[in-house]
Amino acid sequence: MSKTIILSLTLLFGVWACATTDLPSVQSMDGLQLLPDEQRLWNRSKEEQERLNTSSDIYDDPALSAYVNQVAQKLFPEDLHGQELSFQVYMIENPLLNAFAYPNGVLYIHTGILARMENEAQLATLLSHEMTHVTHRHAVENFRTVKNTTAFLATVQVAAIPFGAYGNIAGMLGTVGAMAAVSGYSRDLEREADIEGLARMAAAGYDPQEAPRLFEHLKQDVEEQDVKEPFFFGSHPRLQERITNYNEMLRARYAGASGAKNTEQFQQIVSPMLLDNARLDLAMGRFRPAERTLTRILEGEPQNAKAHYYLGEVCRQRAQADDREKAEAHYREAVECDPALPEPHRALGFVYYKRGQLDASAAELQKYLTLSPDAPDRAYIIQYMQQMKSD
Amino acid sequence: MKKLICVLIPFIITACASRINGGGGLYESSTHHFAVDIPAGWVQLNTDKYLMLSKEDPFLQYVLIQARPIDKPFKHTRKKLKPRMLPQEAAEIILDEISSDRNVVNFALVENIPVSLDGYDAFKVIFTYSTENSLNLKTIYYGLLSQERFYNIRYTAVEKYYFKRDIEAFEAILNSFKLHDAPAG
Repeated sequence: MSKTIILSLTLLFGVWACATTDLPSVQSMDGLQLLPDEQRLWNRSKEEQERLNTSSDIYDDPALSAYVNQVAQKLFPEDLHGQELSFQVYMIENPLLNAFAYPNGVLYIHTGILARMENEAQLATLLSHEMTHVTHRHAVENFRTVKNTTAFLATVQVAAIPFGAYGNIAGMLGTVGAMAAVSGYSRDLEREADIEGLARMAAAGYDPQEAPRLFEHLKQDVEEQDVKEPFFFGSHPRLQERITNYNEMLRARYAGASGAKNTEQFQQIVSPMLLDNARLDLAMGRFRPAERTLTRILEGEPQNAKAHYYLGEVCRQRAQADDREKAEAHYREAVECDPALPEPHRALGFVYYKRGQLDASAAELQKYLTLSPDAPDRAYIIQYMQQMKSD
Repeated sequence: MKKLICVLIPFIITACASRINGGGGLYESSTHHFAVDIPAGWVQLNTDKYLMLSKEDPFLQYVLIQARPIDKPFKHTRKKLKPRMLPQEAAEIILDEISSDRNVVNFALVENIPVSLDGYDAFKVIFTYSTENSLNLKTIYYGLLSQERFYNIRYTAVEKYYFKRDIEAFEAILNSFKLHDAPAG
């Protein structure tokens, strides 16, 4: 796979001659006319998207998808209407904080970054940033620019190496996607996307003061997870630099400006996805983000039994200082909120089993089997119950 | 993870493993304290980290036996195994590790049960997944915790034809598996 990516990148770069790196934006063109190398990039993008869109990586939530695409339409610049360019947003089921755009207007957002947002204005910040990469033809500029620099080698390496806990993202996306999602763009192109994107979201009526908050969330994640791998939103210093840039832009151009945040509607629509994303975080052992998301769900829905159960699982698996007690408390809350939910009974059964309270353990495990007769771990439960009987 | 191993192993092996086209027989690892019988005709691909066996080609089928330190981090989950974990808890982490690997496509768990391996409590999981090229693979994965090591024995093969054809050989290897040290659990 790595060899394939290196070969693909080399071919992509190899067939391009040296060219300018300052292309006019799509808005300023009289009709969208793709340059030969740009056309090749679009063709490659479509191939990669076909593979991605039919994979199990796409998060399937029609309501959320419709909402995100509606926000994208609000940001769609009027002067682009009539051009042969449209935007389509897909979500990738992945707890890592990332988003990227293909040059043909297809955008992908990880559920992880959606889960960290607080309102629609922050979503608009992300989308308008990505849309600027498209309208300003950054992908082709990026490819041309890096071709003649040592960054080419670094880019190839970035696209080819496995990302440890962050998954082999390059392999999943293909060449063009990996360039956008993993390597990102040059500092100048990112700055242009920040400036134009901020203008676009403010013009669409969103509160520009929310823009730097999105990047603050990203910075917090990089710090918490001790992210060392190069990633789309860059390293810690680059994130800090961008937060500073945003704040400077707000002071210089948007002082006192405000607009819509649409917090309530946003929270309501993303709510079902939050639990799914927390479960992915938990599977990857990203306990802090999982805990934060689950706590947020419970702030809005204190009786959410599944959120209590998963929060109990975070505590049990993290196993720090008083986590054992916290886990038990959350399992109990889960049972209280929804006695028909099987998993908290199993979890309590194990708590009692390890504590030597065999009767209580057997009772909870039996409840679990009754509520979930086809449980995938049924054989373990029966074995534990038999052991308890014989003890 | 499995797919990655499947993809990379043939290249890695060429570079750094010793390859023995033996007539089978007893294999003993003094480093990792286990022994297995290798069926006649199976190629033994040996590194200091694992023992891999294949009848024709690891792309078609392989058996991998590994003894990894319990505290060694996984690639795709930050969770860690602990010495006194129940087999079910260890299986949960292994499944999280595999399902969190973005290269494992269409992962589906078929079975997850407690078993006894060489007389010790262990787990057995069976799962299927696909490669980028739509090749469907099936894996049987046994795991057991023993003191400071996590032993795992896996059989992966192309689901169509090869999995069924070579499962008897895998079972023979599995049944011959012996730990030299007495595990604490």
